[in-house]
Amino acid sequence: MSARWPDPASALRRVALIAVGVLAWETAARSGLFSPLIVPSITRIGYQLWLLATQPESLVEAWYSVARGLGGFALAAVVGVGLGVLMGRSALAAACFGPIFSGTYPIPKIALFPIFIYLFGIGSLSKVLLIFLECLYPIVITTQSGGRAVNRVLLWSAANMGASRARIVWKVVVPATAPFIFAGFRIALPIAMIVVIITEMISSADGLGYLVMYSLASFKTDRMLAVVIVIALVGVALDRLVVRLRNRLVFWERLESYYAE
Amino acid sequence: MRRWVSLALPLATLVIWQVAMRFEHPDFVMGPLEIARHFGEALWSGELLPHIGASLMRSLPGFIVGSLVGVVLGLLTGIARSLDQLLSPVVFLTYPVPKIVFLPIVMLWVGIGDVSKIVVIALACFYPCFINAYYGARGTSTIMVWSGLNMGARRSQIVRKVVIPSALPLVFAGLRVSLALSFILLFSTEMINARSGLGFLIRQSESSLRFDLMYVAIVAVAALGCAGDQLLVLMRRRVLAWQEATAR
Repeated sequence: MSARWPDPASALRRVALIAVGVLAWETAARSGLFSPLIVPSITRIGYQLWLLATQPESLVEAWYSVARGLGGFALAAVVGVGLGVLMGRSALAAACFGPIFSGTYPIPKIALFPIFIYLFGIGSLSKVLLIFLECLYPIVITTQSGGRAVNRVLLWSAANMGASRARIVWKVVVPATAPFIFAGFRIALPIAMIVVIITEMISSADGLGYLVMYSLASFKTDRMLAVVIVIALVGVALDRLVVRLRNRLVFWERLESYYAE
Repeated sequence: MRRWVSLALPLATLVIWQVAMRFEHPDFVMGPLEIARHFGEALWSGELLPHIGASLMRSLPGFIVGSLVGVVLGLLTGIARSLDQLLSPVVFLTYPVPKIVFLPIVMLWVGIGDVSKIVVIALACFYPCFINAYYGARGTSTIMVWSGLNMGARRSQIVRKVVIPSALPLVFAGLRVSLALSFILLFSTEMINARSGLGFLIRQSESSLRFDLMYVAIVAVAALGCAGDQLLVLMRRRVLAWQEATAR
């Protein structure tokens, strides 16, 4: 079963499931048991979604969130893969950085956000750096375990055929670690989205997280739910993008049933 | 020798940090010794304990309910095909959605009190536990199940004696992710709206320029996170004594 075209039966089941959910929501909204503020009808949410999709200023909000999330994630990907490969292949680097990462791993980094605001201002920089910090851990940890597991025979044969150290790292270690690196990316990207939304909810004047809090505070529940749907779609789309990229780059080992259809 | 190298970098960071405090610096930067002193004072005066209690009263019920439901449903879904076809599409479709966006919705439905925070934490803890338990149960070696059947084990016996033990390592991996997530969500929900708890304390002391209290609360958050993680690792070592300790 390919990742692009799920078989018709499971696709049908998925559509049926969504239809049942929508129908249940609509009957609850129309029944008059709940205030439309608490359970707004699907048509009103749909209208707000349409407004969100057609108004340029709301598209800018989405762009802010995605840019912050991807910016912090990209920074973490570059630094994390470098550090992870180094720690996986060098005992000295592992001894130096290992304890720091394993010791601070269970600390919720979000608690540092107020300090980050004081250090880097309340604009995008403090948010991007917090996302960088949160994404760094899963990427470093998975890359390191992948770098350690590189097949020794491959390294020996490359060295035997006269490859330099840098060439071995680039041509053998990095490709062999790639499946692990992408596993780390797949953990880190939803974290990046979580942190973007949280930091925008806590302190921001733009972005999707701000839009959620603003709509809630102005009692526009239908608008809030529409924004929530947009955030969910962005999350799913980014995840799909990573899987597609992985299957393109790591073409010798397809991602089968893991977390995806 | 290895141990010394491991200690060198953290220690050097602390020493450089402390020495750098001798030079002129803004109010919101504090040295490690100063933070330690304030921490001791806040703990002694009882200023900190109610907030720690309030935070735990929110995160523990959320974590326990969410991970329990996640593990049980994940195992069942991994075992029964009919449940698999019903539940897995929903779970895997909604998995990449950042769960914090449900906080405003839940707040609308159950109010802005503790229940909404507990519900969101439980929701976030559900996913890693479900997915790991699901793959743990599905990864059970067929040969083990066959030999169990061959030796006349009943269905319930196979589930209890074969499927659950072989799924346990992954279940613990899921629990560990969930615990970390529960802390992240706890502090962010408390920062967004609460009248008590460590997240609230960080937020309030920050806005009233009590930087000493802010650092104390951050250290308490870090300590809670580490303690919970260590507790889980200890429990895992106890339960999975038969498995060689490959995990950190």
